[in-house]
Amino acid sequence: MDRVLFIRTLQAQRSKLLIVAVALGIWGVLMPLIYAQLIDTPLGARFKEMIDSGLFPAQFAQFGGGNLFTLPGSIALGFIHPIFVAIVCVFAIGFTVAAVAGERQRGTLEVVLARPISRRKAYGSLLGATIVLVGLAILAMVAGTLASSAVFGKLDELDLGQVPLLWLNTVLLYIALGSVALAASVSFDRLAQALGITLGFALVSYFFQILGSLWPDAEPLQPFSLFHYLDPAAILDGTGDPFDLVLLALVTLLVVGWALVVFPRRDLAAPS
Amino acid sequence: MTAAIATEGLTKRYGHRGPHPPGAGGVIEALTDLSIEVREGEVFGFLGPNGSGKTTMIRLLLGYLHPSAGRARVLGLDTEHDGLAIRSRVGYLPGGIALYDTMNGLDLLDYLCRLYRRPPARRAALADRLEMSAATLRRPVRDYSRGMRQKMGVIQALQHDPELAILDEPTEGLDPLMQRAFYDILAELKHEGRTIFLSSHILSEVERVCDRVAIIRHGRLVALQEIGELLDSRKRHVEMRLTGPAPSLAGVPGVSGIHVTDGLVTCQLEGDVRPFLAAIDGAAIRDLTIEPAHLEEAFLEYYAEDLDLADASPGRAAGGGA
Repeated sequence: MDRVLFIRTLQAQRSKLLIVAVALGIWGVLMPLIYAQLIDTPLGARFKEMIDSGLFPAQFAQFGGGNLFTLPGSIALGFIHPIFVAIVCVFAIGFTVAAVAGERQRGTLEVVLARPISRRKAYGSLLGATIVLVGLAILAMVAGTLASSAVFGKLDELDLGQVPLLWLNTVLLYIALGSVALAASVSFDRLAQALGITLGFALVSYFFQILGSLWPDAEPLQPFSLFHYLDPAAILDGTGDPFDLVLLALVTLLVVGWALVVFPRRDLAAPS
Repeated sequence: MTAAIATEGLTKRYGHRGPHPPGAGGVIEALTDLSIEVREGEVFGFLGPNGSGKTTMIRLLLGYLHPSAGRARVLGLDTEHDGLAIRSRVGYLPGGIALYDTMNGLDLLDYLCRLYRRPPARRAALADRLEMSAATLRRPVRDYSRGMRQKMGVIQALQHDPELAILDEPTEGLDPLMQRAFYDILAELKHEGRTIFLSSHILSEVERVCDRVAIIRHGRLVALQEIGELLDSRKRHVEMRLTGPAPSLAGVPGVSGIHVTDGLVTCQLEGDVRPFLAAIDGAAIRDLTIEPAHLEEAFLEYYAEDLDLADASPGRAAGGGA
């Protein structure tokens, strides 16, 4: 990793990090707040009766394995909700895809790589920055969730010892996605190509997981999704599978290894 | 003396994997069997029109591209294995440089210099020469004009005092005054023993600042000579106005294309001028003009075929490849 490039990358992303962290912090606050409203108010009780009556399919309140009527369940829902996924992907995909292919297309990569920095070091710096950015963004979500749970007096419903594990598993999932994005970024000359491949991969992956959770016949598709290996409800219940962490780490290592081999060997096309 | 740059049979093909022969389907040979040697301490011009392979050559020297065949050494180091060591001793100005628009000029120069782990020894002098004041450098790069961006490009390439400067179209976007300032900077660098590899299609610039020049055409080297030698071998245009009879120039060594009209003699003069001067000695000359040879003529001679083709099919651009 090149320290100067790493720090500069973080500096360049600080405004984006602030916005994403605030958004995720608010999102984190929202889940315990909704849970408290459903549990502690007559309106919430009527809503629960409606769900229990079978008027709506049970999956409606248990989207992606979450559950609106328990605190761990609502927090889990927050961690797999499309809004959360979209916000975290700003860094995990948006930043990483542009980090090499975008800079190459603009011509700024040429200026940086004219310096004595190996491509592997440059890649390492960008991957390091991705890890820090994703880690901090998800930390903001966790902090918002804990703060909100404390404010509504629900913190005792949560096994706090599982929270770091939830953070780690979520970070690992998005770092795996980020490493796929970065691998695409070093493999294509144009930003659109890298972005298309990565978005396609992420969307199909998310679609498999959600489809499997809503439609039992599609369950066999879930293991092919990276999102399948983040089960916040199970982690918060203390029944999380350590294999999920291992698999996400393995995927990341494989993709990083591939990128470290490919990037130095590639011809860097002249900027368009 | 070690060559600052030495290439042996350097070849770059695009659009294939594996050792397909040149000319196979989809293969573009941007650079073919290029062997040149740039001496330490010289200003070396690398000439060719757009698409002739100049930028490909530079990208090979800096390790952005990997050669399909042949090898290149920069400052005695192999470009394929010693890229980091090479780049720590080289300054590079890309053609049409792109800069980080969100940074201010000073922060950008600091950042790019820190990546070298060397102090910006020449920055102040360069900024002064190129009239980039401290106030200007504190402005965001997005507010810079094209000329100011080019000045930033020159400063970032030379601020750390590199042993070898590789400059791709360095005066692009600079006004005549700044071009002159840039030529002064080059002269100073040369005086201090630095080597400059300058790629350009501005012939007057190369003629003015370079010691030697390589001319490249369709990725192949077509000439590599001292500028002086190249110009000496070119024909000068002579125009002579007379008040008496025309001197006999037929058979005078180096003289050709003689035209005599009423009181006016025109001809071409090549090589040593002394036989010509001896032949006109005593003639009733009212006015004599010998136009110096220009690099442009040499260049156009090497590209005559392309020009013929372009004339034959309007709209077709000369060159191809990278």
